[in-house]
Amino acid sequence: MRNLIVVLGLLLAPAWADEPYKEYTPAEHFEPHVSGDSQLTGTYRYWKDPTKLDLRLAGHPDDSWKLNWKHLDYPFNKEMHAGHLALDRGLVLFNKLNRSGTFKNCLVMYRLNGQYVTTLRGLRTHFPAYRTDLRRVAGLEEVIEHCAALEGETLQNGSYDNSAVSIYIASQSLGMPIKIDVSSGPLREAWKRGERLFHQKVGRNNMSCASCHVGRVGQSLRATVVTSPYGDAAHYPVYRDRFGITSLHVRFAQCSLDLGFNALKPGSPAYTDVEVFLTALTNGYPVSVPSERP
Amino acid sequence: MHTIWRVILVTFLCGSPLGYGYTPGEMVDSKIPTKTLMPKVKVDSGRLEWVPYAMDLSPWPTLGEDDPRAIPRPQLAQYVAPLRGDAVRGRMIAMDTRRGNCVTCHEIPGEDWPGTFGRKLNHYKQMRMSDADIYQQIYDVRITAPRAEMPPFGALGILSDQDIRDVVAYLQSLE
Repeated sequence: MRNLIVVLGLLLAPAWADEPYKEYTPAEHFEPHVSGDSQLTGTYRYWKDPTKLDLRLAGHPDDSWKLNWKHLDYPFNKEMHAGHLALDRGLVLFNKLNRSGTFKNCLVMYRLNGQYVTTLRGLRTHFPAYRTDLRRVAGLEEVIEHCAALEGETLQNGSYDNSAVSIYIASQSLGMPIKIDVSSGPLREAWKRGERLFHQKVGRNNMSCASCHVGRVGQSLRATVVTSPYGDAAHYPVYRDRFGITSLHVRFAQCSLDLGFNALKPGSPAYTDVEVFLTALTNGYPVSVPSERP
Repeated sequence: MHTIWRVILVTFLCGSPLGYGYTPGEMVDSKIPTKTLMPKVKVDSGRLEWVPYAMDLSPWPTLGEDDPRAIPRPQLAQYVAPLRGDAVRGRMIAMDTRRGNCVTCHEIPGEDWPGTFGRKLNHYKQMRMSDADIYQQIYDVRITAPRAEMPPFGALGILSDQDIRDVVAYLQSLE
Protein backbone atom coordinates (compact mmCIF):
# COMPACT_ATOMS: atom_id res chain seq x y z
CA MET A 1 0.00 0.00 0.00
CA ARG A 2 2.76 2.42 1.00
CA ASN A 3 4.75 1.53 -2.16
CA LEU A 4 1.64 2.13 -4.24
CA ILE A 5 1.20 5.61 -2.79
CA VAL A 6 4.89 6.46 -3.34
CA VAL A 7 4.74 5.32 -6.97
CA LEU A 8 1.51 7.21 -7.57
CA GLY A 9 2.98 10.32 -5.97
CA LEU A 10 5.96 10.19 -8.32
CA LEU A 11 3.71 9.71 -11.33
CA LEU A 12 1.45 12.58 -10.34
CA ALA A 13 4.24 14.99 -9.40
CA PRO A 14 4.32 16.70 -12.85
CA ALA A 15 0.61 17.50 -12.51
CA TRP A 16 1.34 19.44 -9.34
CA ALA A 17 4.55 21.07 -10.68
CA ASP A 18 4.96 24.84 -10.51
CA GLU A 19 3.28 26.91 -13.18
CA PRO A 20 5.83 28.19 -15.74
CA TYR A 21 6.75 31.87 -15.36
CA LYS A 22 4.61 33.92 -17.77
CA GLU A 23 4.10 37.64 -17.94
CA TYR A 24 0.92 39.56 -18.60
CA THR A 25 0.32 43.14 -19.63
CA PRO A 26 -1.64 44.91 -16.86
CA ALA A 27 -5.32 44.27 -17.60
CA GLU A 28 -7.74 46.92 -18.76
CA HIS A 29 -11.45 46.77 -18.15
CA PHE A 30 -13.25 45.56 -21.26
CA GLU A 31 -16.97 45.89 -21.93
CA PRO A 32 -18.50 43.03 -23.95
CA HIS A 33 -20.10 45.69 -26.14
CA VAL A 34 -18.65 47.90 -28.86
CA SER A 35 -19.57 51.07 -26.94
CA GLY A 36 -16.74 50.23 -24.52
CA ASP A 37 -14.42 51.78 -27.08
CA SER A 38 -15.36 55.22 -25.79
CA GLN A 39 -13.50 54.37 -22.58
CA LEU A 40 -10.52 52.87 -24.37
CA THR A 41 -9.79 55.19 -27.29
CA GLY A 42 -12.60 57.76 -27.30
CA THR A 43 -13.11 57.40 -31.06
CA TYR A 44 -16.37 55.44 -30.92
CA ARG A 45 -18.40 58.57 -31.55
CA TYR A 46 -16.82 58.96 -35.02
CA TRP A 47 -17.76 55.51 -36.30
CA LYS A 48 -20.63 54.16 -34.22
CA ASP A 49 -23.16 54.63 -36.99
CA PRO A 50 -21.81 53.14 -40.23
CA THR A 51 -24.17 55.28 -42.30
CA LYS A 52 -23.05 58.53 -40.65
CA LEU A 53 -19.26 58.46 -40.48
CA ASP A 54 -17.41 61.67 -39.75
CA LEU A 55 -15.68 61.85 -43.12
CA ARG A 56 -13.45 64.82 -42.27
CA LEU A 57 -11.09 62.23 -40.85
CA ALA A 58 -10.98 59.80 -43.78
CA GLY A 59 -7.97 59.99 -46.06
CA HIS A 60 -5.81 61.88 -43.61
CA PRO A 61 -2.93 59.56 -42.70
CA ASP A 62 -2.83 60.68 -39.06
CA ASP A 63 -6.58 60.63 -38.50
CA SER A 64 -7.97 57.71 -40.53
CA TRP A 65 -7.54 55.41 -37.56
CA LYS A 66 -10.11 57.44 -35.62
CA LEU A 67 -12.75 56.11 -38.00
CA ASN A 68 -11.51 52.60 -37.18
CA TRP A 69 -11.28 52.14 -40.97
CA LYS A 70 -15.05 51.86 -41.21
CA HIS A 71 -14.99 54.08 -44.28
CA LEU A 72 -13.74 50.96 -46.10
CA ASP A 73 -16.92 49.06 -45.14
CA TYR A 74 -20.29 49.00 -46.85
CA PRO A 75 -22.29 51.29 -47.23
CA PHE A 76 -19.58 53.89 -47.68
CA ASN A 77 -17.32 51.70 -49.72
CA LYS A 78 -19.39 50.44 -52.64
CA GLU A 79 -16.37 49.68 -54.81
CA MET A 80 -15.91 46.27 -56.36
CA HIS A 81 -13.09 44.26 -54.82
CA ALA A 82 -12.03 40.65 -54.50
CA GLY A 83 -14.26 40.20 -51.46
CA HIS A 84 -17.25 40.33 -53.79
CA LEU A 85 -15.71 37.65 -56.00
CA ALA A 86 -15.28 35.50 -52.90
CA LEU A 87 -18.94 36.10 -52.05
CA ASP A 88 -19.95 34.75 -55.46
CA ARG A 89 -17.73 31.73 -54.96
CA GLY A 90 -19.27 31.21 -51.54
CA LEU A 91 -22.76 31.14 -53.03
CA VAL A 92 -21.74 28.52 -55.59
CA LEU A 93 -20.04 26.38 -52.93
CA PHE A 94 -22.92 26.69 -50.50
CA ASN A 95 -25.43 25.49 -53.07
CA LYS A 96 -23.12 22.62 -54.00
CA LEU A 97 -22.68 21.58 -50.37
CA ASN A 98 -26.35 22.02 -49.54
CA ARG A 99 -27.72 19.90 -52.39
CA SER A 100 -29.51 17.61 -49.96
CA GLY A 101 -30.17 20.26 -47.30
CA THR A 102 -28.04 18.53 -44.63
CA PHE A 103 -25.25 21.12 -44.77
CA LYS A 104 -27.54 23.93 -43.65
CA ASN A 105 -29.06 21.69 -40.98
CA CYS A 106 -25.57 21.01 -39.66
CA LEU A 107 -24.72 24.73 -39.58
CA VAL A 108 -27.75 25.70 -37.55
CA MET A 109 -27.29 22.96 -34.99
CA TYR A 110 -26.78 24.97 -31.84
CA ARG A 111 -29.06 26.30 -29.17
CA LEU A 112 -29.98 29.94 -28.78
CA ASN A 113 -32.14 30.72 -25.80
CA GLY A 114 -32.99 27.06 -25.52
CA GLN A 115 -34.17 26.67 -29.12
CA TYR A 116 -32.43 25.50 -32.25
CA VAL A 117 -31.90 28.28 -34.80
CA THR A 118 -33.36 27.46 -38.22
CA THR A 119 -32.41 30.21 -40.70
CA LEU A 120 -29.24 31.54 -42.29
CA ARG A 121 -30.39 35.10 -41.71
CA GLY A 122 -28.89 36.25 -38.45
CA LEU A 123 -26.71 33.13 -38.13
CA ARG A 124 -23.45 35.08 -38.35
CA THR A 125 -24.47 37.34 -35.47
CA HIS A 126 -24.50 34.40 -33.04
CA PHE A 127 -21.02 33.02 -33.76
CA PRO A 128 -18.79 31.91 -32.01
CA ALA A 129 -21.29 29.70 -30.23
CA TYR A 130 -21.31 26.59 -28.09
CA ARG A 131 -21.89 23.68 -30.45
CA THR A 132 -23.82 20.69 -29.20
CA ASP A 133 -22.28 18.47 -31.90
CA LEU A 134 -18.62 19.45 -31.27
CA ARG A 135 -19.29 19.96 -27.53
CA ARG A 136 -17.15 23.08 -27.38
CA VAL A 137 -17.22 26.73 -28.38
CA ALA A 138 -16.44 27.12 -32.09
CA GLY A 139 -16.28 29.93 -34.62
CA LEU A 140 -18.10 29.98 -37.95
CA GLU A 141 -15.13 28.87 -40.07
CA GLU A 142 -14.54 25.86 -37.88
CA VAL A 143 -18.19 24.83 -38.11
CA ILE A 144 -18.09 25.19 -41.89
CA GLU A 145 -15.05 22.91 -41.98
CA HIS A 146 -16.80 20.34 -39.80
CA CYS A 147 -20.12 20.41 -41.68
CA ALA A 148 -18.38 20.31 -45.09
CA ALA A 149 -16.43 17.24 -43.96
CA LEU A 150 -19.75 15.53 -43.23
CA GLU A 151 -20.66 16.21 -46.87
CA GLY A 152 -17.34 14.72 -47.98
CA GLU A 153 -15.70 18.03 -48.99
CA THR A 154 -12.46 19.50 -47.67
CA LEU A 155 -12.78 23.17 -46.69
CA GLN A 156 -9.89 23.75 -44.31
CA ASN A 157 -10.24 26.50 -41.74
CA GLY A 158 -8.55 29.56 -43.25
CA SER A 159 -8.61 28.36 -46.86
CA TYR A 160 -10.11 30.51 -49.62
CA ASP A 161 -13.16 28.29 -50.08
CA ASN A 162 -13.90 28.16 -46.36
CA SER A 163 -13.64 31.95 -46.09
CA ALA A 164 -15.80 32.31 -49.20
CA VAL A 165 -18.63 30.26 -47.65
CA SER A 166 -18.17 32.25 -44.42
CA ILE A 167 -18.48 35.52 -46.36
CA TYR A 168 -21.64 34.24 -48.07
CA ILE A 169 -23.24 33.21 -44.78
CA ALA A 170 -22.23 36.49 -43.14
CA SER A 171 -23.66 38.49 -46.03
CA GLN A 172 -27.08 37.01 -45.24
CA SER A 173 -26.83 39.00 -41.97
CA LEU A 174 -25.54 42.23 -43.53
CA GLY A 175 -26.43 45.17 -41.33
CA MET A 176 -27.54 43.06 -38.35
CA PRO A 177 -25.67 43.71 -35.08
CA ILE A 178 -23.33 41.08 -33.67
CA LYS A 179 -24.91 39.60 -30.59
CA ILE A 180 -23.11 36.92 -28.59
CA ASP A 181 -23.92 36.42 -24.93
CA VAL A 182 -20.79 36.06 -22.79
CA SER A 183 -22.52 36.50 -19.46
CA SER A 184 -22.70 32.81 -18.55
CA GLY A 185 -21.84 29.28 -19.56
CA PRO A 186 -19.06 28.04 -21.87
CA LEU A 187 -18.97 31.37 -23.73
CA ARG A 188 -18.20 33.19 -20.48
CA GLU A 189 -15.33 30.78 -19.81
CA ALA A 190 -14.04 31.37 -23.34
CA TRP A 191 -14.38 35.16 -22.89
CA LYS A 192 -12.33 35.06 -19.69
CA ARG A 193 -9.68 32.83 -21.25
CA GLY A 194 -9.57 35.03 -24.35
CA GLU A 195 -9.14 38.16 -22.26
CA ARG A 196 -6.28 36.52 -20.39
CA LEU A 197 -4.61 35.36 -23.61
CA PHE A 198 -5.02 38.85 -25.08
CA HIS A 199 -2.77 40.10 -22.28
CA GLN A 200 -0.27 37.22 -22.25
CA LYS A 201 3.26 38.20 -23.27
CA VAL A 202 4.68 35.80 -25.80
CA GLY A 203 7.22 35.34 -28.51
CA ARG A 204 10.52 36.83 -29.53
CA ASN A 205 9.50 40.37 -28.68
CA ASN A 206 7.88 39.49 -25.35
CA MET A 207 4.76 41.43 -26.25
CA SER A 208 1.08 40.68 -25.97
CA CYS A 209 -1.87 41.67 -28.14
CA ALA A 210 -2.66 44.26 -25.47
CA SER A 211 0.84 45.80 -25.73
CA CYS A 212 -0.26 47.45 -28.97
CA HIS A 213 -4.03 47.17 -29.11
CA VAL A 214 -4.75 48.56 -25.68
CA GLY A 215 -2.02 50.90 -24.57
CA ARG A 216 -1.02 52.29 -27.95
CA VAL A 217 -4.07 52.60 -30.18
CA GLY A 218 -3.50 55.51 -32.52
CA GLN A 219 0.29 55.34 -32.28
CA SER A 220 2.21 53.90 -35.18
CA LEU A 221 4.53 50.99 -35.77
CA ARG A 222 6.56 52.41 -38.59
CA ALA A 223 3.81 53.41 -41.04
CA THR A 224 1.02 51.25 -39.63
CA VAL A 225 -1.36 52.86 -37.15
CA VAL A 226 -2.63 50.48 -34.49
CA THR A 227 -6.41 49.99 -34.33
CA SER A 228 -8.84 49.47 -31.50
CA PRO A 229 -9.86 45.86 -30.71
CA TYR A 230 -13.48 47.01 -30.54
CA GLY A 231 -15.60 46.60 -33.66
CA ASP A 232 -13.08 44.61 -35.70
CA ALA A 233 -14.73 41.20 -35.83
CA ALA A 234 -17.70 42.53 -37.81
CA HIS A 235 -15.85 42.71 -41.13
CA TYR A 236 -14.14 39.31 -41.20
CA PRO A 237 -13.30 37.38 -43.42
CA VAL A 238 -11.79 40.41 -45.12
CA TYR A 239 -10.02 41.06 -48.41
CA ARG A 240 -6.56 42.43 -47.71
CA ASP A 241 -4.62 43.84 -50.64
CA ARG A 242 -1.40 42.08 -49.77
CA PHE A 243 -2.68 38.75 -48.45
CA GLY A 244 -5.94 38.02 -50.23
CA ILE A 245 -9.05 36.77 -48.45
CA THR A 246 -8.12 36.56 -44.76
CA SER A 247 -10.23 34.93 -42.08
CA LEU A 248 -9.88 36.03 -38.47
CA HIS A 249 -7.73 33.06 -37.44
CA VAL A 250 -5.42 33.53 -40.42
CA ARG A 251 -5.11 37.19 -39.37
CA PHE A 252 -4.17 35.97 -35.89
CA ALA A 253 -1.56 33.68 -37.47
CA GLN A 254 -0.07 36.59 -39.42
CA CYS A 255 0.00 38.77 -36.33
CA SER A 256 1.55 35.90 -34.34
CA LEU A 257 4.46 35.82 -36.77
CA ASP A 258 4.83 39.61 -36.49
CA LEU A 259 4.91 39.30 -32.69
CA GLY A 260 7.58 36.62 -32.99
CA PHE A 261 6.15 33.20 -32.22
CA ASN A 262 5.15 30.24 -34.35
CA ALA A 263 1.64 30.65 -35.72
CA LEU A 264 -0.99 28.29 -34.37
CA LYS A 265 -3.29 26.31 -36.61
CA PRO A 266 -6.55 28.12 -37.49
CA GLY A 267 -9.19 26.57 -35.28
CA SER A 268 -6.88 25.99 -32.31
CA PRO A 269 -8.31 26.62 -28.82
CA ALA A 270 -6.20 29.73 -28.11
CA TYR A 271 -7.36 31.45 -31.30
CA THR A 272 -10.98 30.47 -30.68
CA ASP A 273 -10.84 32.02 -27.21
CA VAL A 274 -9.39 35.26 -28.56
CA GLU A 275 -12.04 35.18 -31.32
CA VAL A 276 -14.76 34.98 -28.66
CA PHE A 277 -13.14 37.90 -26.83
CA LEU A 278 -12.90 40.09 -29.94
CA THR A 279 -16.39 39.19 -31.15
CA ALA A 280 -17.86 40.14 -27.78
CA LEU A 281 -16.04 43.46 -28.09
CA THR A 282 -17.97 43.92 -31.35
CA ASN A 283 -21.39 43.25 -29.82
CA GLY A 284 -23.86 45.80 -31.16
CA TYR A 285 -21.92 46.65 -34.32
CA PRO A 286 -23.47 45.54 -37.61
CA VAL A 287 -21.97 42.84 -39.81
CA SER A 288 -20.27 44.49 -42.79
CA VAL A 289 -19.08 41.75 -45.13
CA PRO A 290 -17.51 41.64 -47.74
CA SER A 291 -15.06 44.36 -46.86
CA GLU A 292 -11.49 45.29 -47.69
CA ARG A 293 -8.56 46.64 -45.76
CA PRO A 294 -5.14 47.85 -46.92
CA MET B 1 -9.35 3.98 -1.62
CA HIS B 2 -12.09 5.19 -4.00
CA THR B 3 -11.15 8.79 -3.18
CA ILE B 4 -7.56 8.18 -4.27
CA TRP B 5 -8.67 6.85 -7.64
CA ARG B 6 -11.02 9.80 -8.14
CA VAL B 7 -8.22 12.24 -7.31
CA ILE B 8 -5.90 10.49 -9.77
CA LEU B 9 -8.54 10.53 -12.51
CA VAL B 10 -9.37 14.21 -12.04
CA THR B 11 -5.70 15.19 -11.91
CA PHE B 12 -4.90 13.41 -15.12
CA LEU B 13 -7.92 14.82 -16.90
CA CYS B 14 -7.24 18.40 -15.79
CA GLY B 15 -3.51 18.22 -16.34
CA SER B 16 -3.67 16.45 -19.66
CA PRO B 17 -2.40 18.43 -22.65
CA LEU B 18 -4.21 16.08 -24.99
CA GLY B 19 -7.65 17.64 -24.52
CA TYR B 20 -7.93 18.85 -28.11
CA GLY B 21 -5.45 16.56 -29.82
CA TYR B 22 -3.38 19.59 -30.80
CA THR B 23 0.24 20.59 -30.24
CA PRO B 24 1.22 24.26 -29.87
CA GLY B 25 3.66 25.47 -32.48
CA GLU B 26 2.30 22.95 -34.97
CA MET B 27 3.13 25.24 -37.87
CA VAL B 28 6.76 24.20 -37.85
CA ASP B 29 8.59 22.31 -40.58
CA SER B 30 11.91 20.93 -39.38
CA LYS B 31 12.95 20.15 -42.97
CA ILE B 32 13.43 23.81 -43.91
CA PRO B 33 16.26 25.93 -42.45
CA THR B 34 14.02 28.57 -40.89
CA LYS B 35 11.58 25.93 -39.55
CA THR B 36 8.70 28.41 -39.13
CA LEU B 37 5.80 28.47 -41.60
CA MET B 38 3.35 31.18 -42.53
CA PRO B 39 -0.14 30.77 -44.01
CA LYS B 40 -0.76 31.45 -47.70
CA VAL B 41 -4.30 31.59 -49.03
CA LYS B 42 -4.66 30.13 -52.51
CA VAL B 43 -7.62 31.39 -54.53
CA ASP B 44 -10.40 28.85 -55.21
CA SER B 45 -8.72 26.22 -53.04
CA GLY B 46 -10.16 24.32 -50.11
CA ARG B 47 -6.73 23.93 -48.56
CA LEU B 48 -4.67 26.46 -46.65
CA GLU B 49 -1.04 26.39 -47.72
CA TRP B 50 1.95 26.97 -45.49
CA VAL B 51 5.15 28.46 -46.87
CA PRO B 52 8.52 29.07 -45.18
CA TYR B 53 8.80 32.22 -43.10
CA ALA B 54 11.93 34.36 -43.09
CA MET B 55 12.90 33.61 -39.48
CA ASP B 56 12.99 30.65 -37.12
CA LEU B 57 10.68 31.53 -34.24
CA SER B 58 10.70 28.11 -32.55
CA PRO B 59 12.79 29.07 -29.49
CA TRP B 60 10.16 31.45 -28.09
CA PRO B 61 6.92 30.53 -26.27
CA THR B 62 3.63 30.58 -28.18
CA LEU B 63 0.21 31.83 -27.14
CA GLY B 64 -1.95 29.65 -24.99
CA GLU B 65 -1.91 27.61 -21.80
CA ASP B 66 -0.71 24.48 -23.64
CA ASP B 67 2.81 25.79 -24.19
CA PRO B 68 4.70 24.83 -21.02
CA ARG B 69 7.78 26.96 -21.74
CA ALA B 70 8.50 29.79 -19.34
CA ILE B 71 9.62 33.30 -20.27
CA PRO B 72 13.10 34.21 -18.96
CA ARG B 73 12.76 36.25 -15.79
CA PRO B 74 14.02 39.87 -15.64
CA GLN B 75 17.82 39.68 -15.65
CA LEU B 76 20.67 41.98 -14.72
CA ALA B 77 23.14 42.34 -17.58
CA GLN B 78 26.73 41.27 -17.02
CA TYR B 79 28.32 44.34 -18.60
CA VAL B 80 32.11 44.65 -18.53
CA ALA B 81 33.81 47.91 -19.55
CA PRO B 82 35.28 49.09 -21.94
CA LEU B 83 32.44 49.33 -24.46
CA ARG B 84 34.32 48.52 -27.70
CA GLY B 85 31.27 49.12 -29.89
CA ASP B 86 31.09 50.10 -33.56
CA ALA B 87 28.58 52.91 -34.10
CA VAL B 88 28.25 52.26 -37.84
CA ARG B 89 27.39 48.62 -37.27
CA GLY B 90 25.09 49.72 -34.45
CA ARG B 91 23.07 51.86 -36.84
CA MET B 92 22.73 48.93 -39.24
CA ILE B 93 21.43 46.76 -36.42
CA ALA B 94 18.99 49.46 -35.35
CA MET B 95 17.57 49.78 -38.87
CA ASP B 96 17.40 46.03 -39.58
CA THR B 97 13.87 44.71 -39.03
CA ARG B 98 15.16 41.21 -38.28
CA ARG B 99 17.57 42.27 -35.57
CA GLY B 100 17.37 45.45 -33.52
CA ASN B 101 14.34 46.77 -35.38
CA CYS B 102 14.51 49.97 -33.36
CA VAL B 103 12.88 52.11 -36.06
CA THR B 104 9.57 50.29 -35.77
CA CYS B 105 8.93 51.98 -32.43
CA HIS B 106 11.52 54.74 -32.07
CA GLU B 107 12.50 57.72 -34.14
CA ILE B 108 16.18 57.77 -35.10
CA PRO B 109 17.87 60.27 -37.43
CA GLY B 110 17.49 59.63 -41.14
CA GLU B 111 14.34 57.50 -40.94
CA ASP B 112 11.28 58.67 -42.89
CA TRP B 113 8.51 56.64 -41.25
CA PRO B 114 9.49 56.04 -37.64
CA GLY B 115 7.18 54.48 -35.13
CA THR B 116 5.70 56.49 -32.30
CA PHE B 117 5.47 53.80 -29.64
CA GLY B 118 8.66 54.68 -27.85
CA ARG B 119 10.43 57.93 -27.14
CA LYS B 120 12.47 59.70 -29.79
CA LEU B 121 16.15 58.78 -29.84
CA ASN B 122 17.33 61.64 -32.02
CA HIS B 123 19.68 63.38 -29.55
CA TYR B 124 20.38 60.50 -27.28
CA LYS B 125 23.83 61.68 -26.26
CA GLN B 126 22.22 64.61 -24.47
CA MET B 127 20.58 62.22 -22.02
CA ARG B 128 24.06 61.65 -20.57
CA MET B 129 23.42 58.03 -19.63
CA SER B 130 26.31 55.73 -18.84
CA ASP B 131 27.21 52.87 -21.18
CA ALA B 132 26.28 50.37 -18.50
CA ASP B 133 22.80 51.88 -18.04
CA ILE B 134 22.04 51.89 -21.76
CA TYR B 135 23.38 48.36 -22.02
CA GLN B 136 20.99 47.23 -19.25
CA GLN B 137 18.10 49.09 -20.90
CA ILE B 138 18.60 47.18 -24.14
CA TYR B 139 19.60 43.88 -22.52
CA ASP B 140 16.51 43.69 -20.31
CA VAL B 141 14.30 46.75 -19.96
CA ARG B 142 12.17 44.99 -17.33
CA ILE B 143 14.77 45.80 -14.67
CA THR B 144 14.95 49.54 -15.36
CA ALA B 145 11.40 50.23 -16.63
CA PRO B 146 9.00 47.41 -15.71
CA ARG B 147 6.02 48.95 -17.52
CA ALA B 148 7.80 49.37 -20.85
CA GLU B 149 6.72 47.18 -23.74
CA MET B 150 10.21 46.98 -25.22
CA PRO B 151 11.58 43.52 -26.05
CA PRO B 152 14.36 42.32 -23.71
CA PHE B 153 16.93 41.95 -26.48
CA GLY B 154 19.64 40.31 -24.42
CA ALA B 155 17.57 38.19 -22.05
CA LEU B 156 15.56 36.66 -24.89
CA GLY B 157 18.58 36.11 -27.10
CA ILE B 158 17.60 38.47 -29.93
CA LEU B 159 20.87 40.42 -29.97
CA SER B 160 24.32 39.18 -28.99
CA ASP B 161 26.62 40.93 -26.52
CA GLN B 162 28.63 42.56 -29.32
CA ASP B 163 25.41 43.64 -31.11
CA ILE B 164 24.20 45.46 -28.00
CA ARG B 165 27.60 47.11 -27.53
CA ASP B 166 27.41 48.38 -31.12
CA VAL B 167 23.91 49.80 -30.58
CA VAL B 168 25.05 51.51 -27.36
CA ALA B 169 27.98 53.04 -29.25
CA TYR B 170 25.58 54.25 -31.95
CA LEU B 171 23.23 55.85 -29.41
CA GLN B 172 26.08 57.54 -27.61
CA SER B 173 27.12 59.06 -30.92
CA LEU B 174 23.78 60.83 -31.55
CA GLU B 175 24.55 64.47 -30.68
